[in-house]
Amino acid sequence: MSATLQQVVNLARIGFKGPNAAAWLGEQGIPLPERANSWCVTGDDEQDICVRLGASEFLLERGDGNALRKLQAEIAAHIPGVYPVLREDCAFVIAGDAADDVLAQMCNVNFAALRAEAREAVMTLMIGVAVTVVPQGNAAQRRYRLWCDPTFGDYVWSSLNEVAGPYLIDTKSPGGAR
Amino acid sequence: MMYRLPQREGEWIDRTRSLAFTFEGVRYEGFAGDTITSALSAAGVMILGRSFKYHRPRGILSFANHDVNAIFQVGPVPNVRGDVTPLADGMEVLAVNTVGGLQSDRAQWIDRLGRFLPVGFYYKAFNSKRFFPRWERLIRNLSGLGQISVDAPRLQTPKRYAFCDVLVIGGGVAGEAAARAAAATGAKVMLVDESTRVSAHSADGVDVLTSSYVAGVYADRWAAVIEPHRMTKVRAGAIVFATGAIEQPIAFHNNDLPGIVMAGAAQRLLQRHSIAVGRKVLVVTTHRAGYEAAVALLDAGLSIAHIVELNSTSVAPDLSSLLIQRGVKVVVGDAPIEAERNAEGCVAAVHFAGERIDCDAVLMSGGWAAAAQLLLQAGGKTAFDDAAQMHLPSELPAGCFVSGAINGLFNAEAACMEGRTAGRAAAEFASATVPPSGSSIIARSSSPVAPSPHRRQDPRGKDFIDFDEDLQVKDIENAIHEGFDSIELLKRYTTVGMGPSQGKHSNLNAARILAGKRGLSMDQVGLTTARPMYHPVPMKHLAGRGFTPERATPIAPRHSDAGAVWMLAGNWRRPEYYMREGESREQCIAGEVAVVRNSVGLIDVGTLGKIEVHGPDAGAFLDRAYAGRYSDLKVGMTRYGLLLDEAGTIVDDGVVARLHEESFYFTTTTGGSAGVYRDLLRLNALWGLNCSLVNVTGHRAAFNLAGPRSRDLLSAMTSVNLNDGAFPYLGVREGIVGAANARLLRVGFVGELGYEIHVPHSHAQRVWDGLVEQGRKFDLRLFGVEAQRVLRLEKGHFIIGQDTDGLTNPFEAQAGWAVRMQKPFFIGQRSLRLLERRGPRQLLVGFEIENAVPALKECHLAIDNGEIAGRVTSVTYSNTLGKTIGLAMIKPSLAVLGTKLTFRVTDGSTVTATVCPTPFFDHDNQRQKFGVAA
Repeated sequence: MSATLQQVVNLARIGFKGPNAAAWLGEQGIPLPERANSWCVTGDDEQDICVRLGASEFLLERGDGNALRKLQAEIAAHIPGVYPVLREDCAFVIAGDAADDVLAQMCNVNFAALRAEAREAVMTLMIGVAVTVVPQGNAAQRRYRLWCDPTFGDYVWSSLNEVAGPYLIDTKSPGGAR
Repeated sequence: MMYRLPQREGEWIDRTRSLAFTFEGVRYEGFAGDTITSALSAAGVMILGRSFKYHRPRGILSFANHDVNAIFQVGPVPNVRGDVTPLADGMEVLAVNTVGGLQSDRAQWIDRLGRFLPVGFYYKAFNSKRFFPRWERLIRNLSGLGQISVDAPRLQTPKRYAFCDVLVIGGGVAGEAAARAAAATGAKVMLVDESTRVSAHSADGVDVLTSSYVAGVYADRWAAVIEPHRMTKVRAGAIVFATGAIEQPIAFHNNDLPGIVMAGAAQRLLQRHSIAVGRKVLVVTTHRAGYEAAVALLDAGLSIAHIVELNSTSVAPDLSSLLIQRGVKVVVGDAPIEAERNAEGCVAAVHFAGERIDCDAVLMSGGWAAAAQLLLQAGGKTAFDDAAQMHLPSELPAGCFVSGAINGLFNAEAACMEGRTAGRAAAEFASATVPPSGSSIIARSSSPVAPSPHRRQDPRGKDFIDFDEDLQVKDIENAIHEGFDSIELLKRYTTVGMGPSQGKHSNLNAARILAGKRGLSMDQVGLTTARPMYHPVPMKHLAGRGFTPERATPIAPRHSDAGAVWMLAGNWRRPEYYMREGESREQCIAGEVAVVRNSVGLIDVGTLGKIEVHGPDAGAFLDRAYAGRYSDLKVGMTRYGLLLDEAGTIVDDGVVARLHEESFYFTTTTGGSAGVYRDLLRLNALWGLNCSLVNVTGHRAAFNLAGPRSRDLLSAMTSVNLNDGAFPYLGVREGIVGAANARLLRVGFVGELGYEIHVPHSHAQRVWDGLVEQGRKFDLRLFGVEAQRVLRLEKGHFIIGQDTDGLTNPFEAQAGWAVRMQKPFFIGQRSLRLLERRGPRQLLVGFEIENAVPALKECHLAIDNGEIAGRVTSVTYSNTLGKTIGLAMIKPSLAVLGTKLTFRVTDGSTVTATVCPTPFFDHDNQRQKFGVAA
């Protein structure tokens, strides 16, 4: 059993919230998850995604920051019922067949039971910190993307490393959980 | 004496692998597959430890980890359970609870003082305060099991969560059948068993945890599974309790001598480790199990001296006849009176009414107690079954099933059938979309036993009921005579069942004695409440790996570089002050205060809660949530915000800024952000207003640049016009600071011209570095939490939770100015109306003392006419003012300017202070509004 850990620093991120957020994002050509607490791909692969957090809040993460900056510029005009959400999260990826074991030591959600094709997003507490977790990949190559408040970033990163330590075959950190 | 038999089929030991170990300094050898206890037994070591109270020699009793006779100190680890702990090469094993070693235990004299140590001894002896310390010292020295080594290395003990459709507790015949049957339906099954081996395995589709036990079952089928090196919290869709039954001892004099063991223990020793309990074995039984053990031992070539059954009519005539045919003498309707010890202190014979039977081993089988503790914890109920003489399950909670001996089934074939049925039912329950409301109990048959195993013959001597606590029959009887005649009182007074084995061998017999003495049925007597833990759990398992959430602002590395001395504020790490070489803590803090008053200082306030509220009803929402009014707040301005609870108590405060017509941004206290946000979300959902809340506490960093030169410094870094006219006191502006999008708030918490600068987390370090760099021209100095506390106290600002408590309302905190009672509604308004009419019970006032009084601390009491009249909530010596200043919460009659307050300090002396107006410094707030020339 093995696992890899990675801090994600190369993706741009923005959030939107409000009763008109879904409609407005749709007008901007952003594919949206239909259900609350689920996600969908917005680009060529599973890197670029939109996560629906509850009914009316969205987190967009993309490799191409320009697209998100355009949205940010649009929203500066104060669209009624659409509110920008500053997302400075720390983001991590944990992958490998030991990923479920690692998460089982940190959180009481049964991630292993989540089917990747269902594209569910889980908002829960992990080691005392509010996190959003998105399972990706498939049963053979499980991968979890995880976001948390940046001020908890160092704590979550060091805890992940400690718990995953016996399984780790690769850790990618740009230095400091940012 | 016990000894190892030649190799037998099915034994659990590997005779090709010898393991050397020491016990009490003597070297022994065992085999791989041995436990500590089995290896010692094979080596002929009969005495394994000393009893808890009387220091009597003790040997194997259950060989099932159900008693404390076989617990050991292994190196630095105390209380190692020898019955189940695998032997390891090089183990250094010691007995526990001895003074000077096992054989020559100097505390064994206590055994002779039994008559002076009656039941309830602690309650009787500790009644006198005078002698309490003496007794405490004596008993602490004499009692206790094992030694805790403070030098032991710290080992990480992980915890984990696991999930299964069906959890089967117990890997016996019934449990294995249940696990396999459930797995055959496709269910995800977990089987937990204390043994090192069970027949079921992963090939059956069963996740098997051996050497593990369930310590507790909680609501919604949560189970705490204790594995050798970790705890697993299991959420199960359904649980099958195949926990079996626990064989009960028989009470007679000296029934604790080494060599007297449970019949089941003898069988386990034989079958797993090929150990014979003795060369001449006596069986004393009330149950068929005693006969079965005798047959098994005979088959293995052991000599059975006698079988004595306590019942007047044999419960197993078939086996009785078989044994008679094989030359065993069987006596029915007799009972043991006393065991006789040999020179080594082990059993040598047992006296009956008319006979003395020589033996070197005695097998006791006094019936069974259903191991229903976990089921009871899960919410199940039991009723006493007269035929089985056991408490058997009578009601099962939803999703819980039973099978096997716990349900009174001792026949392997029947238990297996019942196990399969229970396993399938459990799997069906777990997979049901709408689970059935309850679980049925399958009909059972049982093997009858005599109603009472205890037959009292002689008032002298010791016949043990509870081997953990050294409790005798007479202790139970005396307690009942003294009036402790309910099962719960009896337990607490005698401590029966309160030892490490938690009554596994004692509760049933104690209940029988109570029932007999009071003439009650067993159901009328009942059972004590079963609570976790079922077995003792190592503390390291409960503690697990430590996770303590800790937050750090993005500036934390810069603080460290600057010599920050850290403190915890909630779960935040904050600089208390910045250490300077050659300066004391007080000098460092005073220096930081001075630079804010005279030039410019910079503090990281990123720990403040930061919340946005957007939408057409944002103002109305804040009007309802906060005590102030915000719907009339001008765009670009801020206002102090006081948050109350329904009782009108102050719970938080902060600054509310109006960014746009429909957008507000507000701060909360450092510790309050999560709670405030959660409450506001709840209220927003409740009120259904058209607005949305966003918590950006961690996503925005914040600094306070404060001091007369703050504007000069900041103006070099921002595009925002900082002139008073364009950006007045209490204004809020958005603009660029050091290339970052920033929100600037002109606030005056420390009483100087100042700007809170809020920037995105990812830009924080760059902006901070720019401010520090730019600040060199102005002798900028970083200041920490302590300096900020002094500065705010000079301004008379209170801190929620320090200057207020869980009862303080705004009127008492002299913050009525922040409350708009004329609003139609806000949280706490109704209570405040009542409180306003009632008048304050205490008032927060400022006080001053002309000189430094280091002895006066926060929480020191105000005394008035010999009565407590209040307390100091904040106090410091202000270098700026040259006097001691503080805040105190005192009774209203003293809250008059000029009143002399008397505070009692730690050494009992008193300090006199004078009530004075606040703020102490810059009364008309000119400095924070307009700044002053440096």
